[in-house]
Amino acid sequence: MLEQIELRVKGLNFYYSGGIHALKQINLPVHSKQVTALIGPSGCGKTTLLRCFNRMHDLYPGNRYEGEIHFVKDNILSPDTDLINLRSRIGMVFQKPTPFPMTIFDNIAYGLKLKGINKRAELSERVERALQHAALWDEAKDKLNSSAYDLSGGQQQRLVIARALAVNPEVLLFDEPTSALDPISTSKIEELFDKIKKDVTIIIVTHNMQQAARISDWTGFMMLGELVEFDTTDKIFTAPAEKLTEDYVTGRFG
Amino acid sequence: MMTHERKRRIEGIIALTFSTLAAFLGLFWLVFILGDVLIHGVKALNLNLFLNDPAPAGVDGGGLRNAFVGQLMITICATLIGVPVGVLGGTFLAEYARGRTIARIISILADIMVSVPSIVIGTFIYAVMVKPIGHFSGWAGAIALAIIMVPVVLRTTEDMLSLVPWTIREAAFALGAPYHKVITQVVYRAAATGILTGILLSIARVAGETAPLLFTSFNNAYYSLNMNQPISSLTVTIFQYAMGPYDSWHSQAWAAAFVITIFILLLTITGRLIIKWRYR
Repeated sequence: MLEQIELRVKGLNFYYSGGIHALKQINLPVHSKQVTALIGPSGCGKTTLLRCFNRMHDLYPGNRYEGEIHFVKDNILSPDTDLINLRSRIGMVFQKPTPFPMTIFDNIAYGLKLKGINKRAELSERVERALQHAALWDEAKDKLNSSAYDLSGGQQQRLVIARALAVNPEVLLFDEPTSALDPISTSKIEELFDKIKKDVTIIIVTHNMQQAARISDWTGFMMLGELVEFDTTDKIFTAPAEKLTEDYVTGRFG
Repeated sequence: MMTHERKRRIEGIIALTFSTLAAFLGLFWLVFILGDVLIHGVKALNLNLFLNDPAPAGVDGGGLRNAFVGQLMITICATLIGVPVGVLGGTFLAEYARGRTIARIISILADIMVSVPSIVIGTFIYAVMVKPIGHFSGWAGAIALAIIMVPVVLRTTEDMLSLVPWTIREAAFALGAPYHKVITQVVYRAAATGILTGILLSIARVAGETAPLLFTSFNNAYYSLNMNQPISSLTVTIFQYAMGPYDSWHSQAWAAAFVITIFILLLTITGRLIIKWRYR
Protein backbone atom coordinates (compact mmCIF):
# COMPACT_ATOMS: atom_id res chain seq x y z
CA MET A 1 0.00 0.00 0.00
CA LEU A 2 1.31 3.39 -0.95
CA GLU A 3 1.35 5.65 2.02
CA GLN A 4 2.47 9.18 2.51
CA ILE A 5 4.56 10.20 5.47
CA GLU A 6 3.28 13.46 6.97
CA LEU A 7 5.91 13.89 9.68
CA ARG A 8 9.24 12.17 10.07
CA VAL A 9 11.14 12.37 13.36
CA LYS A 10 14.91 11.89 12.90
CA GLY A 11 17.37 11.47 15.76
CA LEU A 12 15.33 13.64 18.12
CA ASN A 13 16.75 14.42 21.56
CA PHE A 14 15.00 16.75 23.96
CA TYR A 15 16.29 18.37 27.13
CA TYR A 16 14.15 20.22 29.69
CA SER A 17 15.56 23.42 31.16
CA GLY A 18 17.03 21.64 34.18
CA GLY A 19 19.10 19.53 31.78
CA ILE A 20 16.87 16.45 32.07
CA HIS A 21 17.32 14.32 28.95
CA ALA A 22 13.64 13.55 28.31
CA LEU A 23 13.74 12.13 24.78
CA LYS A 24 16.57 9.96 23.48
CA GLN A 25 17.29 9.37 19.78
CA ILE A 26 13.68 9.14 18.65
CA ASN A 27 13.07 8.03 15.05
CA LEU A 28 9.46 7.80 13.97
CA PRO A 29 7.34 8.16 10.84
CA VAL A 30 3.82 9.60 11.13
CA HIS A 31 1.58 8.37 8.34
CA SER A 32 -0.66 10.82 6.59
CA LYS A 33 -4.44 10.65 7.32
CA GLN A 34 -3.99 7.86 9.84
CA VAL A 35 -4.08 7.65 13.62
CA THR A 36 -0.75 7.17 15.39
CA ALA A 37 -0.93 6.35 19.10
CA LEU A 38 1.88 6.86 21.60
CA ILE A 39 1.66 4.60 24.64
CA GLY A 40 3.89 3.88 27.61
CA PRO A 41 4.07 4.21 31.38
CA SER A 42 3.88 7.59 33.13
CA GLY A 43 6.98 9.70 32.64
CA CYS A 44 8.09 7.80 29.53
CA GLY A 45 8.18 10.98 27.43
CA LYS A 46 5.12 10.45 25.23
CA THR A 47 3.58 13.83 26.06
CA THR A 48 7.00 15.46 25.75
CA LEU A 49 7.30 14.01 22.26
CA LEU A 50 3.78 15.14 21.33
CA ARG A 51 4.55 18.69 22.41
CA CYS A 52 7.60 18.76 20.11
CA PHE A 53 5.37 18.59 17.03
CA ASN A 54 3.88 22.06 17.63
CA ARG A 55 6.95 23.38 19.50
CA MET A 56 4.90 23.90 22.67
CA HIS A 57 8.13 23.56 24.66
CA ASP A 58 9.23 26.92 23.26
CA LEU A 59 6.80 28.65 25.65
CA TYR A 60 9.12 27.86 28.53
CA PRO A 61 12.70 29.13 28.54
CA GLY A 62 15.66 26.78 28.62
CA ASN A 63 14.16 23.79 26.79
CA ARG A 64 16.34 22.42 24.01
CA TYR A 65 15.75 20.21 20.95
CA GLU A 66 18.36 18.25 18.98
CA GLY A 67 17.67 16.43 15.74
CA GLU A 68 14.98 16.99 13.14
CA ILE A 69 11.26 16.65 12.58
CA HIS A 70 10.37 16.90 8.92
CA PHE A 71 6.90 18.22 8.14
CA VAL A 72 6.36 17.71 4.41
CA LYS A 73 9.76 19.09 3.42
CA ASP A 74 10.66 21.55 6.20
CA ASN A 75 12.44 20.81 9.46
CA ILE A 76 10.06 22.27 12.04
CA LEU A 77 12.75 22.27 14.73
CA SER A 78 14.75 24.81 12.75
CA PRO A 79 15.00 28.19 14.49
CA ASP A 80 13.55 29.85 11.37
CA THR A 81 10.21 28.08 11.74
CA ASP A 82 7.29 30.50 12.01
CA LEU A 83 5.59 29.11 15.14
CA ILE A 84 2.31 30.92 14.49
CA ASN A 85 2.08 29.34 11.05
CA LEU A 86 3.21 25.94 12.37
CA ARG A 87 0.58 25.91 15.12
CA SER A 88 -2.19 26.82 12.71
CA ARG A 89 -1.20 23.77 10.64
CA ILE A 90 -0.64 21.41 13.57
CA GLY A 91 -3.41 21.80 16.14
CA MET A 92 -3.60 20.42 19.66
CA VAL A 93 -6.25 19.16 22.06
CA PHE A 94 -5.38 18.89 25.74
CA GLN A 95 -6.22 16.48 28.53
CA LYS A 96 -8.62 18.82 30.31
CA PRO A 97 -11.10 20.68 28.11
CA THR A 98 -9.85 24.23 27.53
CA PRO A 99 -12.78 26.33 26.33
CA PHE A 100 -12.08 30.07 26.30
CA PRO A 101 -14.22 32.37 28.49
CA MET A 102 -16.50 33.37 25.62
CA THR A 103 -19.54 32.07 23.75
CA ILE A 104 -19.60 28.75 21.92
CA PHE A 105 -19.63 30.59 18.60
CA ASP A 106 -16.72 32.84 19.54
CA ASN A 107 -14.69 29.86 20.75
CA ILE A 108 -14.83 28.26 17.32
CA ALA A 109 -14.45 31.56 15.50
CA TYR A 110 -11.34 32.44 17.52
CA GLY A 111 -8.87 30.49 15.39
CA LEU A 112 -10.57 31.66 12.19
CA LYS A 113 -10.31 35.29 13.24
CA LEU A 114 -6.62 34.76 13.98
CA LYS A 115 -6.29 33.69 10.35
CA GLY A 116 -7.93 36.94 9.26
CA ILE A 117 -11.39 35.57 8.49
CA ASN A 118 -13.78 38.27 9.70
CA LYS A 119 -16.82 38.13 7.43
CA ARG A 120 -19.86 37.18 9.46
CA ALA A 121 -21.33 34.89 6.80
CA GLU A 122 -18.11 32.95 6.29
CA LEU A 123 -17.55 32.67 10.05
CA SER A 124 -21.09 31.33 10.58
CA GLU A 125 -20.68 28.79 7.84
CA ARG A 126 -17.32 27.53 9.07
CA VAL A 127 -18.42 27.45 12.71
CA GLU A 128 -21.38 25.29 11.72
CA ARG A 129 -19.20 22.99 9.63
CA ALA A 130 -16.68 22.60 12.46
CA LEU A 131 -19.39 21.83 15.02
CA GLN A 132 -20.93 19.25 12.69
CA HIS A 133 -17.51 17.79 12.07
CA ALA A 134 -17.04 17.36 15.83
CA ALA A 135 -20.58 15.94 16.27
CA LEU A 136 -21.63 18.82 18.52
CA TRP A 137 -23.91 20.73 16.15
CA ASP A 138 -27.19 19.12 17.24
CA GLU A 139 -26.48 19.78 20.91
CA ALA A 140 -25.09 23.30 20.44
CA LYS A 141 -26.97 24.85 17.54
CA ASP A 142 -29.60 26.47 19.78
CA LYS A 143 -27.13 27.97 22.21
CA LEU A 144 -24.29 29.26 20.07
CA ASN A 145 -24.40 32.53 21.99
CA SER A 146 -24.26 31.08 25.48
CA SER A 147 -21.04 30.61 27.41
CA ALA A 148 -18.89 27.63 26.53
CA TYR A 149 -18.72 26.89 30.24
CA ASP A 150 -22.42 25.93 30.16
CA LEU A 151 -21.51 22.76 28.23
CA SER A 152 -20.71 19.48 29.99
CA GLY A 153 -17.11 18.25 30.18
CA GLY A 154 -17.52 15.90 27.24
CA GLN A 155 -19.25 18.58 25.14
CA GLN A 156 -16.49 21.05 26.05
CA GLN A 157 -13.90 18.59 24.78
CA ARG A 158 -15.78 18.20 21.48
CA LEU A 159 -16.04 22.00 21.32
CA VAL A 160 -12.28 22.22 21.66
CA ILE A 161 -11.87 19.62 18.92
CA ALA A 162 -14.25 21.63 16.73
CA ARG A 163 -12.22 24.75 17.44
CA ALA A 164 -9.05 22.97 16.38
CA LEU A 165 -10.71 21.52 13.25
CA ALA A 166 -12.19 24.87 12.21
CA VAL A 167 -8.86 26.19 10.93
CA ASN A 168 -8.37 23.11 8.68
CA PRO A 169 -5.14 21.83 10.24
CA GLU A 170 -3.10 19.15 8.52
CA VAL A 171 -2.27 17.40 11.79
CA LEU A 172 -4.06 17.23 15.15
CA LEU A 173 -2.25 16.32 18.37
CA PHE A 174 -4.29 14.80 21.20
CA ASP A 175 -2.83 14.67 24.70
CA GLU A 176 -4.90 12.08 26.60
CA PRO A 177 -8.10 13.72 25.37
CA THR A 178 -10.50 11.39 27.17
CA SER A 179 -8.77 10.75 30.49
CA ALA A 180 -10.88 13.41 32.22
CA LEU A 181 -14.16 12.21 30.69
CA ASP A 182 -16.86 9.65 31.48
CA PRO A 183 -17.20 6.48 29.33
CA ILE A 184 -20.05 7.81 27.18
CA SER A 185 -18.25 11.04 26.35
CA THR A 186 -15.13 8.98 25.70
CA SER A 187 -16.84 6.73 23.17
CA LYS A 188 -18.31 9.78 21.40
CA ILE A 189 -14.84 11.20 20.98
CA GLU A 190 -13.43 7.87 19.85
CA GLU A 191 -16.11 7.70 17.15
CA LEU A 192 -14.95 11.12 16.05
CA PHE A 193 -11.45 9.93 15.27
CA ASP A 194 -12.69 7.59 12.57
CA LYS A 195 -14.67 10.42 11.02
CA ILE A 196 -12.03 13.13 11.06
CA LYS A 197 -9.04 11.06 10.03
CA LYS A 198 -10.18 11.33 6.41
CA ASP A 199 -9.11 14.97 6.59
CA VAL A 200 -6.39 15.16 9.19
CA THR A 201 -3.46 13.18 10.46
CA ILE A 202 -3.87 12.30 14.12
CA ILE A 203 -1.27 11.68 16.80
CA ILE A 204 -2.69 10.69 20.17
CA VAL A 205 -1.05 10.12 23.52
CA THR A 206 -3.07 7.76 25.67
CA HIS A 207 -2.78 5.94 28.96
CA ASN A 208 -5.51 3.59 27.91
CA MET A 209 -4.19 0.64 25.90
CA GLN A 210 -7.64 -0.53 24.83
CA GLN A 211 -8.21 2.93 23.42
CA ALA A 212 -4.97 2.80 21.43
CA ALA A 213 -5.94 -0.66 20.13
CA ARG A 214 -9.45 0.51 19.17
CA ILE A 215 -8.69 3.73 17.37
CA SER A 216 -5.15 3.77 16.05
CA ASP A 217 -3.53 2.43 12.89
CA TRP A 218 0.02 2.77 14.17
CA THR A 219 1.37 2.52 17.70
CA GLY A 220 4.63 3.60 19.25
CA PHE A 221 5.59 2.18 22.64
CA MET A 222 7.84 4.44 24.70
CA MET A 223 9.78 3.91 27.89
CA LEU A 224 12.27 6.07 29.79
CA GLY A 225 12.49 8.58 26.97
CA GLU A 226 13.13 6.01 24.25
CA LEU A 227 10.90 4.70 21.53
CA VAL A 228 11.06 0.97 22.22
CA GLU A 229 9.00 -0.17 19.28
CA PHE A 230 6.96 1.33 16.48
CA ASP A 231 4.72 -0.68 14.18
CA THR A 232 1.15 -1.15 13.03
CA THR A 233 -1.25 -1.32 15.95
CA ASP A 234 -2.14 -4.89 15.02
CA LYS A 235 1.44 -5.96 15.22
CA ILE A 236 2.17 -4.16 18.50
CA PHE A 237 -0.82 -5.69 20.25
CA THR A 238 -0.66 -9.20 18.80
CA ALA A 239 2.94 -9.97 17.92
CA PRO A 240 5.35 -7.32 19.21
CA ALA A 241 9.01 -7.78 18.35
CA GLU A 242 10.28 -6.60 21.73
CA LYS A 243 9.79 -8.50 24.99
CA LEU A 244 9.33 -5.14 26.82
CA THR A 245 6.45 -4.16 24.53
CA GLU A 246 4.77 -7.51 25.06
CA ASP A 247 5.08 -7.19 28.84
CA TYR A 248 3.53 -3.72 28.74
CA VAL A 249 0.61 -4.42 26.39
CA THR A 250 -0.28 -7.58 28.26
CA GLY A 251 -0.39 -5.59 31.47
CA ARG A 252 2.59 -7.13 33.21
CA PHE A 253 3.81 -3.66 34.27
CA GLY A 254 2.88 -0.04 33.75
CA MET B 1 -8.98 15.54 85.53
CA MET B 2 -12.18 17.41 86.29
CA THR B 3 -10.35 20.60 87.26
CA HIS B 4 -8.33 20.52 84.04
CA GLU B 5 -11.44 20.40 81.88
CA ARG B 6 -13.00 23.15 83.91
CA LYS B 7 -9.94 25.32 83.52
CA ARG B 8 -10.13 24.95 79.76
CA ARG B 9 -13.82 25.79 79.75
CA ILE B 10 -13.20 28.96 81.76
CA GLU B 11 -10.35 29.94 79.44
CA GLY B 12 -12.70 29.48 76.51
CA ILE B 13 -15.37 31.70 78.08
CA ILE B 14 -12.81 34.42 78.82
CA ALA B 15 -11.45 34.37 75.25
CA LEU B 16 -14.96 34.51 73.80
CA THR B 17 -15.94 37.41 76.08
CA PHE B 18 -12.92 39.52 75.23
CA SER B 19 -13.08 38.96 71.48
CA THR B 20 -16.81 39.73 71.44
CA LEU B 21 -16.23 42.92 73.43
CA ALA B 22 -13.43 43.94 71.08
CA ALA B 23 -15.63 43.34 68.05
CA PHE B 24 -18.46 45.42 69.50
CA LEU B 25 -16.03 48.18 70.49
CA GLY B 26 -14.86 48.41 66.89
CA LEU B 27 -18.37 48.21 65.48
CA PHE B 28 -19.65 50.80 67.97
CA TRP B 29 -17.41 53.57 66.62
CA LEU B 30 -18.10 52.58 63.03
CA VAL B 31 -21.86 52.75 63.55
CA PHE B 32 -21.45 55.94 65.57
CA ILE B 33 -19.51 57.67 62.79
CA LEU B 34 -21.75 56.43 59.95
CA GLY B 35 -24.88 57.27 61.96
CA ASP B 36 -23.60 60.77 62.72
CA VAL B 37 -22.75 61.38 59.06
CA LEU B 38 -26.14 60.05 58.05
CA ILE B 39 -28.15 62.16 60.52
CA HIS B 40 -26.29 65.44 60.03
CA GLY B 41 -25.74 64.83 56.33
CA VAL B 42 -29.32 64.06 55.38
CA LYS B 43 -30.50 67.11 57.33
CA ALA B 44 -28.22 69.42 55.31
CA LEU B 45 -28.90 67.71 52.00
CA ASN B 46 -30.86 69.67 49.40
CA LEU B 47 -30.86 70.18 45.68
CA ASN B 48 -29.21 73.60 45.91
CA LEU B 49 -26.13 71.90 47.29
CA PHE B 50 -25.53 70.33 43.87
CA LEU B 51 -26.70 73.25 41.72
CA ASN B 52 -25.20 76.34 43.39
CA ASP B 53 -21.67 77.50 43.97
CA PRO B 54 -20.58 78.62 47.43
CA ALA B 55 -22.04 81.84 48.80
CA PRO B 56 -19.58 84.46 50.13
CA ALA B 57 -18.07 83.44 53.45
CA GLY B 58 -20.49 83.86 56.33
CA VAL B 59 -23.52 84.34 54.08
CA ASP B 60 -26.14 81.57 54.34
CA GLY B 61 -27.16 79.48 51.32
CA GLY B 62 -25.11 78.54 48.32
CA GLY B 63 -23.94 75.03 47.41
CA LEU B 64 -20.93 72.95 46.61
CA ARG B 65 -21.32 72.43 42.86
CA ASN B 66 -17.67 73.41 42.38
CA ALA B 67 -16.51 70.74 44.81
CA PHE B 68 -18.69 67.96 43.37
CA VAL B 69 -17.57 68.71 39.82
CA GLY B 70 -13.94 69.16 40.86
CA GLN B 71 -13.93 65.90 42.81
CA LEU B 72 -15.43 64.09 39.84
CA MET B 73 -12.88 65.53 37.42
CA ILE B 74 -9.91 64.74 39.64
CA THR B 75 -11.13 61.20 40.28
CA ILE B 76 -11.88 60.52 36.61
CA CYS B 77 -8.53 61.88 35.46
CA ALA B 78 -6.73 59.90 38.18
CA THR B 79 -8.55 56.75 37.03
CA LEU B 80 -7.70 57.40 33.38
CA ILE B 81 -4.02 57.75 34.29
CA GLY B 82 -3.72 55.18 37.05
CA VAL B 83 -5.75 52.27 35.69
CA PRO B 84 -3.92 51.75 32.37
CA VAL B 85 -0.54 52.00 34.10
CA GLY B 86 -1.64 49.60 36.83
CA VAL B 87 -3.22 47.05 34.47
CA LEU B 88 -0.31 47.09 32.02
CA GLY B 89 2.21 46.90 34.87
CA GLY B 90 0.36 43.95 36.40
CA THR B 91 0.29 42.30 32.98
CA PHE B 92 4.05 42.72 32.67
CA LEU B 93 4.59 41.10 36.07
CA ALA B 94 2.21 38.18 35.57
CA GLU B 95 2.94 37.46 31.91
CA TYR B 96 6.13 38.81 30.39
CA ALA B 97 8.29 38.85 33.54
CA ARG B 98 6.66 35.83 35.18
CA GLY B 99 9.06 34.03 37.52
CA ARG B 100 11.88 36.53 37.00
CA THR B 101 13.60 38.39 39.83
CA ILE B 102 12.53 41.75 38.43
CA ALA B 103 8.87 40.73 38.81
CA ARG B 104 9.34 39.78 42.45
CA ILE B 105 11.16 43.06 43.20
CA ILE B 106 8.45 45.19 41.56
CA SER B 107 5.76 43.19 43.38
CA ILE B 108 7.37 43.83 46.76
CA LEU B 109 7.89 47.53 45.94
CA ALA B 110 4.22 47.82 44.95
CA ASP B 111 3.21 46.24 48.27
CA ILE B 112 5.31 48.84 50.08
CA MET B 113 3.80 51.62 47.92
CA VAL B 114 0.29 50.51 48.95
CA SER B 115 1.09 51.29 52.57
CA VAL B 116 3.00 54.57 52.05
CA PRO B 117 1.06 57.37 53.82
CA SER B 118 -0.81 59.34 51.18
CA ILE B 119 0.49 62.65 52.50
CA VAL B 120 3.97 61.55 51.40
CA ILE B 121 2.68 61.18 47.83
CA GLY B 122 1.10 64.65 48.14
CA THR B 123 4.31 66.31 49.26
CA PHE B 124 6.22 64.43 46.55
CA ILE B 125 3.96 65.81 43.81
CA TYR B 126 4.18 69.22 45.47
CA ALA B 127 7.98 69.07 45.15
CA VAL B 128 8.18 67.72 41.59
CA MET B 129 5.16 69.38 40.00
CA VAL B 130 3.48 72.16 41.99
CA LYS B 131 6.70 73.93 43.00
CA PRO B 132 8.36 73.97 39.54
CA ILE B 133 5.13 75.05 37.81
CA GLY B 134 4.52 77.65 40.46
CA HIS B 135 0.88 77.00 41.39
CA PHE B 136 -1.55 74.30 42.50
CA SER B 137 -3.47 72.50 39.76
CA GLY B 138 -6.13 69.88 39.16
CA TRP B 139 -3.65 67.79 37.18
CA ALA B 140 -1.25 67.66 40.13
CA GLY B 141 -4.11 66.31 42.26
CA ALA B 142 -5.10 63.75 39.63
CA ILE B 143 -1.52 62.54 39.28
CA ALA B 144 -1.09 62.26 43.06
CA LEU B 145 -4.24 60.12 43.26
CA ALA B 146 -3.15 58.10 40.21
CA ILE B 147 0.15 57.29 41.96
CA ILE B 148 -1.84 55.98 44.93
CA MET B 149 -4.01 53.88 42.60
CA VAL B 150 -1.24 52.30 40.54
CA PRO B 151 0.15 49.82 43.10
CA VAL B 152 -3.35 48.70 44.12
CA VAL B 153 -4.46 48.06 40.52
CA LEU B 154 -1.09 46.56 39.60
CA ARG B 155 -1.09 43.99 42.40
CA THR B 156 -4.74 42.98 41.85
CA THR B 157 -4.15 42.61 38.11
CA GLU B 158 -1.04 40.52 38.74
CA ASP B 159 -2.88 38.25 41.20
CA MET B 160 -5.94 37.85 38.99
CA LEU B 161 -3.89 37.03 35.88
CA SER B 162 -1.82 34.50 37.83
CA LEU B 163 -5.05 32.70 38.77
CA VAL B 164 -5.92 32.05 35.11
CA PRO B 165 -4.86 28.44 34.44
CA TRP B 166 -1.90 27.94 32.11
CA THR B 167 -3.75 25.37 30.05
CA ILE B 168 -6.02 28.10 28.66
CA ARG B 169 -3.00 30.08 27.50
CA GLU B 170 -1.46 26.96 25.96
CA ALA B 171 -4.72 26.25 24.14
CA ALA B 172 -4.65 29.72 22.61
CA PHE B 173 -0.99 29.37 21.68
CA ALA B 174 -1.77 25.99 20.12
CA LEU B 175 -4.20 27.74 17.74
CA GLY B 176 -1.37 29.95 16.55
CA ALA B 177 -2.15 33.06 18.58
CA PRO B 178 0.72 35.48 19.28
CA TYR B 179 1.29 36.31 22.96
CA HIS B 180 -0.29 39.77 22.93
CA LYS B 181 -3.50 38.33 21.50
CA VAL B 182 -3.47 35.48 24.01
CA ILE B 183 -3.33 38.09 26.78
CA THR B 184 -5.81 40.63 25.45
CA GLN B 185 -8.38 38.24 23.95
CA VAL B 186 -8.29 35.24 26.27
CA VAL B 187 -6.51 35.90 29.58
CA TYR B 188 -8.05 39.35 30.19
CA ARG B 189 -11.50 37.90 29.58
CA ALA B 190 -10.90 35.14 32.08
CA ALA B 191 -9.65 37.62 34.69
CA ALA B 192 -11.99 40.51 33.80
CA THR B 193 -14.22 40.52 36.86
CA GLY B 194 -11.31 40.30 39.27
CA ILE B 195 -9.45 43.14 37.58
CA LEU B 196 -12.62 45.27 37.41
CA THR B 197 -13.20 44.75 41.13
CA GLY B 198 -9.63 45.83 41.87
CA ILE B 199 -10.15 48.98 39.80
CA LEU B 200 -13.40 49.87 41.61
CA LEU B 201 -11.83 49.35 45.02
CA SER B 202 -8.85 51.49 44.04
CA ILE B 203 -11.20 54.31 42.97
CA ALA B 204 -13.00 53.97 46.30
CA ARG B 205 -9.65 54.18 48.02
CA VAL B 206 -8.54 57.45 46.39
CA ALA B 207 -11.95 59.13 46.34
CA GLY B 208 -11.70 59.68 50.08
CA GLU B 209 -8.15 61.08 50.10
CA THR B 210 -7.60 64.58 51.49
CA ALA B 211 -3.94 64.92 52.35
CA PRO B 212 -2.51 64.49 48.83
CA LEU B 213 -5.03 66.99 47.41
CA LEU B 214 -4.18 69.65 50.00
CA PHE B 215 -0.68 69.79 48.52
CA THR B 216 -1.65 69.53 44.87
CA SER B 217 -5.08 70.64 43.65
CA PHE B 218 -5.68 72.69 46.83
CA ASN B 219 -9.06 74.38 46.64
CA ASN B 220 -11.03 76.84 44.58
CA ALA B 221 -14.01 78.85 45.85
CA TYR B 222 -15.32 79.18 42.28
CA TYR B 223 -16.71 76.76 39.76
CA SER B 224 -13.86 75.74 37.46
CA LEU B 225 -13.31 73.07 34.83
CA ASN B 226 -9.70 74.07 34.24
CA MET B 227 -7.42 71.26 35.37
CA ASN B 228 -4.40 73.58 35.01
CA GLN B 229 -5.69 75.71 37.88
CA PRO B 230 -6.45 74.91 41.51
CA ILE B 231 -9.70 73.02 41.63
CA SER B 232 -12.11 72.27 44.45
CA SER B 233 -12.69 68.79 45.83
CA LEU B 234 -15.15 67.40 48.36
CA THR B 235 -12.54 66.14 50.78
CA VAL B 236 -10.54 69.38 50.95
CA THR B 237 -13.81 71.34 51.18
CA ILE B 238 -14.93 69.17 54.09
CA PHE B 239 -11.61 69.84 55.78
CA GLN B 240 -11.88 73.60 55.23
CA TYR B 241 -15.57 73.96 56.08
CA ALA B 242 -15.40 71.78 59.17
CA MET B 243 -12.57 73.96 60.51
CA GLY B 244 -14.39 77.18 59.57
CA PRO B 245 -16.34 79.41 61.96
CA TYR B 246 -19.76 79.40 60.26
CA ASP B 247 -22.68 77.07 61.03
CA SER B 248 -23.73 77.00 57.35
CA TRP B 249 -20.24 75.69 56.48
CA HIS B 250 -20.52 72.99 59.10
CA SER B 251 -23.82 71.68 57.79
CA GLN B 252 -22.56 71.74 54.19
CA ALA B 253 -19.47 69.83 55.29
CA TRP B 254 -21.76 67.20 56.80
CA ALA B 255 -23.71 66.95 53.56
CA ALA B 256 -20.50 66.60 51.56
CA ALA B 257 -19.25 63.92 53.95
CA PHE B 258 -22.54 62.08 53.53
CA VAL B 259 -22.40 62.18 49.73
CA ILE B 260 -18.80 61.00 49.49
CA THR B 261 -19.43 58.21 52.02
CA ILE B 262 -22.40 56.97 50.00
CA PHE B 263 -20.36 57.16 46.80
CA ILE B 264 -17.56 55.04 48.28
CA LEU B 265 -20.08 52.65 49.82
CA LEU B 266 -21.73 52.14 46.43
CA LEU B 267 -18.38 51.51 44.73
CA THR B 268 -17.43 48.95 47.38
CA ILE B 269 -20.79 47.20 47.21
CA THR B 270 -20.58 47.07 43.41
CA GLY B 271 -17.13 45.52 43.74
CA ARG B 272 -18.41 42.90 46.18
CA LEU B 273 -21.43 42.13 44.00
CA ILE B 274 -19.21 41.57 40.99
CA ILE B 275 -17.09 39.09 42.97
CA LYS B 276 -20.20 37.30 44.20
CA TRP B 277 -21.78 37.20 40.75
CA ARG B 278 -18.56 35.84 39.26
CA TYR B 279 -18.06 33.05 41.78
CA ARG B 280 -21.66 32.07 42.46
